[in-house]
Amino acid sequence: MILHVDMDAFFASIEQAINPRLKGKPLIVGSRNSRMHTVVCAASYEAKRAGIDSGMSSAEAFKICPKLEFVAAEQSKYIWTSRQIFKLLKEFGFELLYASIDEFQMDIRDTTQPGLLAEEIREKIFKEFNITASVGIAKNWLLAKLGSKLNKPNGVSILTEANLESVLARFPAAKICGVGKNTAELLGGLGVNTCLDLYQKSAQFLEQHLGKYGLNLYLSMHSTDSFDSLQEPENPKSISHSYTLPRAISNPQFIKAWIRTLSEMVSQRLRQDNWESYTVHLWLNGPEIGNFGAQKAFQQPVNDGLEVYQRCLKIMAKLGAKMPLVRAIGVTCSKLSKSSYAQPLFKEQAKRGELLKAVDRINSRFGDNSIYPAVIALAR
Amino acid sequence: MPDDSGYQNPDCLNQQIEVLALFKAAKILPRIFFWNNKIYKIKKVTYNWQERLGKETISYFSVSTGIDLYQISFNNTTYVWKINKII
Repeated sequence: MILHVDMDAFFASIEQAINPRLKGKPLIVGSRNSRMHTVVCAASYEAKRAGIDSGMSSAEAFKICPKLEFVAAEQSKYIWTSRQIFKLLKEFGFELLYASIDEFQMDIRDTTQPGLLAEEIREKIFKEFNITASVGIAKNWLLAKLGSKLNKPNGVSILTEANLESVLARFPAAKICGVGKNTAELLGGLGVNTCLDLYQKSAQFLEQHLGKYGLNLYLSMHSTDSFDSLQEPENPKSISHSYTLPRAISNPQFIKAWIRTLSEMVSQRLRQDNWESYTVHLWLNGPEIGNFGAQKAFQQPVNDGLEVYQRCLKIMAKLGAKMPLVRAIGVTCSKLSKSSYAQPLFKEQAKRGELLKAVDRINSRFGDNSIYPAVIALAR
Repeated sequence: MPDDSGYQNPDCLNQQIEVLALFKAAKILPRIFFWNNKIYKIKKVTYNWQERLGKETISYFSVSTGIDLYQISFNNTTYVWKINKII
């Protein structure tokens, strides 16, 4: 059996715990740059009830609810709280996995009273952090995750053999993790509307209509092997980072500093998992250029931020000499292959490789961004 | 200063302050802080968290005096207390 803990409106709840004046009020958490030119990172339940949700532009959110409270996001407190909750859950002595920054899964196969355990977990989290969590319990991770969403906020759902079908019949198939809008529409066309409809379909049916994903979905829904049914992560096809500026800007130094920042972020992740990339993609968005995106394939693969950045500049040259107004920037590295460990031919290359290793070691030991290229300071 | 909309002023104060705190059971419990020649009695620590900045670990506390809410921090390497902002 799996117990899935899902924190309720995690970032917004932490901000309400910090500032009790915000409790019970519609609240959104967004970028610190500008309250009116950001996207909603998290919304309190009061804001959600007004129709506001994550991903919406803050301007739209303020239009829906002019009395909305706004707090600038500070990642450090969310990351710290998440790690502390993980530590707290670890003390229960079960195998434990991080599902995301605000979701945790425990394998509780020998527990006789899972309901009591769920209550104890929720009480401890509330006592320690003054924020609430919802819990789902079921025979596998996918159904447990579904369960955690059925009684939100601050609730528990236990899906047993006895109630499973009646519970699944009450909710649309889109509630299942991984069933997005398009898949739900496709399934709807096939007469699969509820979670129960989906649960009762055969592996062949789901594979025929949804391909490999359909088969995985079937296996995940029907598994009783607890964590064994968690899918092994596949090799990534690409690694990317993007950033929306507080307003449209045409200052070339500032825009280049952001491209370098994103190039470094992408490269660091490439090196972390020992990848190199042959293709670099730059995406820019702005009022004059709309969505500009172009990619370039190179003979030599890279995982050095400086080289990714230089390749981005080559792509950007297509826009001409004058820098247009830019509102959002994205850098993607694709066509990935494992690093070859080949000895560099040139002394300079070897030195650069050693430098990158040293930078990664420093950042790993002393925390992200302990050391970074000076040009990035413009974007920080 | 905090405005009515609840927006937190991102312009940090980051001024050094003196703090009377209890270090108990591996926890830091700030009780009183002195800032701008004034004593602020802490009625409640509403939240606390930590952040690693280079080799330094910073412990943050959001503290209520019953009237106002402040964010203060303790640098675990330099032992310096700061007032970061009025929430």
